[in-house]
Order: sequence, then structure tokens, then C-alpha cells
Amino acid sequence: MPGVDRRLLQNVDWLLLAAAGSVIALGTVTVATLNVSRAGDSLVYRQLFSVAVGAMAMVLVASIDYRNLVRVAPLLYLVGLAGLALVFVIGRSVSGARRWIPLGGVSVQPAELFKFAFVLMIVWVLTTRWAQPVKKATLAVAGVVFIVPFVLIVKQPDLGTALILAPVLGLLLIGAGIRLRLLGGVVAAAVALLPVVWFFLKDYQRQRIMVYLDPYRDPLGTAYNVIQAKIAIGSGQLLGKGVAGATQSRLAFLPERHTDFIFAVFAEMWGFVGCLVLLVCYAFLLIRGFDIAATAREPLGRLVALGATALVTAQTLINLGMVTGLLPIVGIPLPMMSYGGSAMVVSMMALGLLLSVRMRQFA
Amino acid sequence: MTVGVLVLFLVLVGQLWYLQVLEGERLQELSERNRMRVRPIAAPRGVLFDRNGLALVDNRPAFTLSLIPREMDNRDAVLGRLSALLRIPYAELDDALGRGPADSLMPVRVRRGLTLEDVARVEEWKLELPGVIVEVEPVRLYPTSHFAAHLLGYVREVNDEQLKQGRYRRGEMVGQSGLERLLDNYLRGQDGGERIEVDALGRPIRVIRRTEPHPGAHVVTTVDRRIQEAAERAMEGHAGSVVVMDPRSGDVLAMVSTPAFALDQFSGTISREAWIQLVKDPSHPMLNRTVQSQYAPGSVFKIIVAAAGLQETTLTPLDRAHCDGTFHLGNWTFRDWKAEGHGSVDLRAAIVQSCNVFFYQAGLKIGGATIARYATAFGLGAPTGIDLPGEKTGLIPGVRRSGRRPLYRGDTVNMSIGQGAVLVTPMQVARAMSAVANGGALFKPRLVQRVESADGRILHSDPGLVNGHVDLSPMVWAFLREVLIDVVNEGTGTAARVPGVEIAGKTGTAQIVANSKVSAGQDHAWFVSFAPARDPRYVVVVMVERGGKGGQVAAPIARQIYNAIFLEKVAAAGLAG
Repeated sequence: MPGVDRRLLQNVDWLLLAAAGSVIALGTVTVATLNVSRAGDSLVYRQLFSVAVGAMAMVLVASIDYRNLVRVAPLLYLVGLAGLALVFVIGRSVSGARRWIPLGGVSVQPAELFKFAFVLMIVWVLTTRWAQPVKKATLAVAGVVFIVPFVLIVKQPDLGTALILAPVLGLLLIGAGIRLRLLGGVVAAAVALLPVVWFFLKDYQRQRIMVYLDPYRDPLGTAYNVIQAKIAIGSGQLLGKGVAGATQSRLAFLPERHTDFIFAVFAEMWGFVGCLVLLVCYAFLLIRGFDIAATAREPLGRLVALGATALVTAQTLINLGMVTGLLPIVGIPLPMMSYGGSAMVVSMMALGLLLSVRMRQFA
Repeated sequence: MTVGVLVLFLVLVGQLWYLQVLEGERLQELSERNRMRVRPIAAPRGVLFDRNGLALVDNRPAFTLSLIPREMDNRDAVLGRLSALLRIPYAELDDALGRGPADSLMPVRVRRGLTLEDVARVEEWKLELPGVIVEVEPVRLYPTSHFAAHLLGYVREVNDEQLKQGRYRRGEMVGQSGLERLLDNYLRGQDGGERIEVDALGRPIRVIRRTEPHPGAHVVTTVDRRIQEAAERAMEGHAGSVVVMDPRSGDVLAMVSTPAFALDQFSGTISREAWIQLVKDPSHPMLNRTVQSQYAPGSVFKIIVAAAGLQETTLTPLDRAHCDGTFHLGNWTFRDWKAEGHGSVDLRAAIVQSCNVFFYQAGLKIGGATIARYATAFGLGAPTGIDLPGEKTGLIPGVRRSGRRPLYRGDTVNMSIGQGAVLVTPMQVARAMSAVANGGALFKPRLVQRVESADGRILHSDPGLVNGHVDLSPMVWAFLREVLIDVVNEGTGTAARVPGVEIAGKTGTAQIVANSKVSAGQDHAWFVSFAPARDPRYVVVVMVERGGKGGQVAAPIARQIYNAIFLEKVAAAGLAG
């Protein structure tokens, strides 16, 4: 390991770590207040375990030179694809979706971990010699790299996770200097493809989109989540109800309250003021990430930092948008807050990439 | 990039501001409604069984519309919508809701017996009807709507008067007549309930606490469903009553009063008009004629007169009288039902052919006070002690009662053929006839054998009770039995004959004094009997109001009942064998 270099340690971005640590702490406390349990154990212990594993993964990623990581990206990518394919073979099925692979005592979600490989792989594609400058051929290769896992993940089905890949790809293309006209063309083509995608969607996924367009069309069915989340958030009002008063969350009116909808729980407990604090943490984290990308010494570092930031940003914004009722409901966890090991680990690995780029910025 | 992210975050902050600050109060209220709800679980009433274990009445689930006062924020609008949706008068809803406290969590039952369409409509408009729920409650299920109506009695929502006693909760179903009323405390059981959390849309989230309902206790009656059904079939189209009793125990095997009312109309919410119509019906369907109507016994009473005379030896089987169809007493002329008379008759013939003139003379010889004493000894003119509310006492003239004039000889003449002021109920006659059949024991008519809790414990049992005794010499009992057998075999009661079964019986045709000039079709027709005559197991008393002659109207009905008892039983046994 080319890691233990004093100069590197001097350049650790403590502010970034502090922001991330705050978010993780708030998330863990929120999970702890919910009396959700699995097999008798409070979920918070599992969450703390995930944080510990994530921290180790983060340190590991940060200690490896990101250039080496990009070099082995195709390998990681193929391993990731294999994982995605494996889900269909030995995956554990939960409420109709096969997303998990049992691994020892824990379940691993390959689609989550795949995001990490995806970021590196796209960077690898965009930085190979023949890919410069970004032309249609580059786009075509990137398209293939994108579409294969996309289809596999949609098939699980896990539309949310699959959709996250798109903005990551988009931001990386922009970062790689694609001409905007070309990108516009791609987006137009994607929009033109939407009806086809609609055709492939599952019924419940279509329902969700319809409900987003008209939340009260089926208030007891699909829109239930939206309405209950809005009630939870809104009833927190300015200062929140505190832990004991958060009936929406604690009394289980809120579905998925420890995973995708954890922000609604937080909002009910701590109100508008608490939400502002949390949002400032996230905003700081993300802006810091873009800053790391902008100040990176060379294009590869810039793209890696950009990809990692894009991944966290897209998930954060889409999750918050959906929980607050601004976007249709797609199953995306809130990075570093939602309960869920794979998501936590992959988010912290992304942080590791950012730290890595930052540390080597001055090297 | 940074700018873009900042803009998106500002959008989020804006949305949060909108939800938490601008809309906060409204959403806070909504979250308040994501709360507790109390859901009562009605205990099923106990089942009534016949003596052979067949159910007389059971339960079925039914839908009840209920309102939760606390959740009715927009009360008037919701009631208006509901009224239009289910076509229930607004006033009725308003009234029902207004009777309880306005902030109660307990649902107020507004209307029972919703149809499936009604339920579907309510569910469909659920969101527009906060505080409106549909409960599932067990209600009575009757074999047929009129089956044993007076015996079983109806069950109806508790009324205001009963509420004042403080034993019932509003909206509860309470037995209002018959056995349902008598045994209500046993049958009712104890309602359970659930505390559940519901969300703002009224969907149950989870059960906090559940109290299981305790079903009501089961009742084993003395009734034989097969005989009850046969008796009801036989009485179809007639007004009157039938009592079938086991003379060995006083068990009531069947108790029919016609016309009957429809039991099941009370399961739902009966409208005021329907209720008034039922109460004011000139045929009095609510009246249990077996214990609540009093009639002159007519010639049935001759059994008592004969018993009195023989026991007091003022009358012997050898006494003869010449009957030319009329009997004179001072300026009064009393007529026989047969204008040309029966000729020379002895006591046996006088009973078999039901000669009035013989009994006019015999009555005077025996004396009115003595006849009255024996009538009383046979339990006539006094309550039988049956466990049904509202039993009438009947009347025997001359029995010491303040303010009554003494018996004149004319009264005695009338009384000796069961006319005049004599009044009895069919149940009294059945009890007296049982004494004739069993040799003098008067039983308290028994309706209930035992009450068993759902887990099989005996909560109450009625071993039967002898509450009177008629002391006659065995010779007199034997004479009465032989004569009554002759009545059916060769006298006025031949229409009751059933091949292979010896039946002892007596017909009676009671003139209604006020209408004595009207045609014979206006007389009450009686037939009282027991069988098998030498080993009596069944007493059958038939009374048809304004039916005509006892031998022509009542006796055939008794025959149908005996047919069911004996012949169909044989047939059933044959099939089983």
C-alpha cells in the first residue's frame, strides 16, 4: 500500500469529514429513536456496524491512490456486473424484489456497491487516450457501460438505484468537456426513449409516477406514502415535536420510516430548524465535494471527485425531493442517514474517493 | 455546479418552509387524527337449542353503520352526505349522534342491517365521510322469520326506558320478549373491544389492546323443534294457539301463537311506521295467545265438572238425564248445541257427545262453589307459573274475590258447560290436561332445561317443579281417561283420530257472549287431548279463535300434530333403521 505518507495525512479534509460525521450521527440517532427492530435487536446496532465497516472502507479507499483505482476500474466493473447477475441466481427476495445477496450474517445489495465501480469505470472510459476529446464514439462506449447495469438493476426491480446512474454519467460527461450540443442530443434521445421505458416499467412503478402527477388520485393506495410523509414533515412545524411527540414516525403511520423516508422522521422530530441544520451539513458536504473536483490537480482527479460528489448529490437531492413531495417516489435511500449497510458503505467509499483526491492534490 | 446545488437546496428549503411553517398547523391536525380508535366487538348472543340439540335460533354476521362522534369534525356536512348516500333521513342520523357525548371515541350505532350495496357505497366515499365506519356485528338468524316467534321473542336495540335501568349500554341488542327477554342476562354475553391505532385516513395500523368478547351462554329449551314446526304448519291460516306439553314433566314441547310476527324485522333498524303498524294490528300478532289471551273453555270444562261430581259423589256414572235440547230454570231457557237433543244420556254419553242439558242438571246438583273449587284445584283461573312475562290469570266465578256478587243458579248452569264468566288461558288448560293424563300432578310449565356457558359450565338448570296437586280417587281418574278415549273414538272428537295411536280428548266450542247471535263460525274452537291414552307422553291443546266447532276445526289440527309426533317419528325411525 502506498499509503502511509505523512504529507498525505496533513492534507486530510477534516471539514468534509466533520460534515459527513454530523450527518451520520444524526441519522444513527434517528434510527435509534425508532422502535423498529429485526429479530429482537434494535436496528441501531446494525447501523453502527455498517458505519464501522464503512469507515474502514473509506480509510482503505482514501489510502489507495485513485489513479490506481481507475486503472483497475474495468475489473471492478466486471465484478460488479457479476454481482448484479448473481442477484438473479441466489438473490434474497423481499416483497417481490430480488436485491440482496446473503453473505455470511449480512445481506449485501450489489446494486449499491456497483455505483462505486460505475463511477470509476466511467472515469476510466472518459480518460483513455482514444476517448479524447469526447466524441460520439466515446459516448457510445459510455452508453454501453451505462445501459448494461441499468437494465440489470431495473430488472431486479430497483428503478431508483438504476436512475441514479444517469445523472452521474451526465455530470461526468460535462466534466470531461463534452460539447453541450452533443449532450443535448443525448438527453433528447433519452427523452424520446421515455415511452419505451414506460412500456418496460412494472405496474407499481407506473402507479407511482401517476400518483406524483396527481397525489390524491388514490389516497389509500400508492399515494399513501406521499401523504403520510407530508403529514409527518408538516406536523413537525417550526421546532419539531421531539422524540416522544413524533407520533407519525413512532407509531408506524409512516412507511419505510427507517430507510427511504428517514428524513420525514427527522423533520417531524426536529422541525424546520432541525431540517435547516441537516440541509446545511449536506450542502456543505456537496459543495465541498465540487470544490475538491474544481481544485483537483489533474483531469483524472477532477473526474473522480466529480463522479463521487455527483453520486452523493443525486441521491441526496432525489431522496429529499421525493420525501418532501417534490418528486415522484423512487426507492432511493438518503446517503449516510438511511438505515442500510450497503448504501452506507458505498456512500463512505465515495467520501474516501474525495478524501483521496484532496490528499493528493498537493502531492 | 456549486450554484446549481445551492439552488436545488434552496428549493428544498422552500418546500420545507411551505410544509412545516405555512401548512404546518393543518398537517399537525391531520397527524393528531392519526390516533386511537375504539372498535367494539359485539359478543354473539347465546344459541337456543331444542331438546334434541337442534338450534332454534342462531347468529349470522351483519353490517352496522356507526359514527364516531370525536372524529366528526364537519358533522353537518358528513351527515348530509351520508343521508343522501344511504337515503336515511337526516334527522335520524342527527338524533342518533346527539344521544351520546360529542367527544366520545365509542362508535354510535346508527343503523343495523346494511345491505352489501350500502356498505360498498360507504367504503367508496370513505374519504368524504370521516368518522363513519361500518362494523360487523352478529345478529340473530332465525330458521324462518315467524318460527316460534312468541316463544323465542325478539331482540331489539335497547330502548330509553331500559337504558334508565343502567344495565345496558346504548346501542346494545336486548331480548325484548319471550325467552330472549327471560334469559337475556345469560344470552347477552360480554362485548369485547379493540384499541387500535389508525392513521389520518382511518386505516388500522395496529392493535394496541384487544379484549376478547365472551359469547353468550347457550340455552337448552324443552321445545321439540319438529313438533313446534308441525304445530305451526297445522295452525297456518288460523288465529289461535297450540300448546304441546309432556304430562310427565310439564315440559313445553311446542308453543304456538298465531298470527305471529316476523322476528327478523327487529334485527335491523325497524322504522317507526312498521312498529306502530305491528302494535296496532287488529289481529294482535305481538300477543302470545298461549298465556296472554283468556277464553271461555266451553265444553272442555265438562271434564272439571265431571271430576268434581264424581269425587264429591254428587254424580255417578249411572246418572241419566233426558235431553230434549232445552233446559228451563225459572224464566230462563238454556239450549243444547243440538236442537233436537241427545235423548236419554248417562255421564259417559254426555261427555262423549258433549250434551249440555245433562251438565246443566249435573252442575246444579254439584253446586257452583264446588265446581269453582275443583276448577281452581286444576289450576284454572290462576297463573301457571310459567317463566314468561305478562301471563294472564283467567277467571273462575265464585272464587272468593272481594266485590264480586255471589253465584246465582243461572251462573252455575252457565259455568257447568264452561261458559259465562269462566276464562282460561290455553297454557292453563294444557297444565290441567296434563294432570288428567298423569293422575293429578300439576307442573309449572317448563321452558328451559339448562343454561350452559360457552365452555360447557352449567350456569342454571331447571329440574322442573310440581306446584299443585289434584286429589281424585284412582277410580275417577280411570273413568275420565276411558271416557275421553271414547270422545275421540266415537264422539265429537273423531276428527282427531290417528291410526295406531289411542288418543284421549275433549272438544269445546265456546260462544263469545257478545256475539252469541252471530253464526256458529264465530265460536272459539277447542280441542284438548293427550296420547298415548294409557301411557300419556303428549298433551296437545288446540285453540282456534272464532274457528267454529271444536270437533270440526280444532280436532283436525290436533290430528296433524299427532301425525307429526307419532307417524313421522315412526317413518324417520324406519328410514334410519
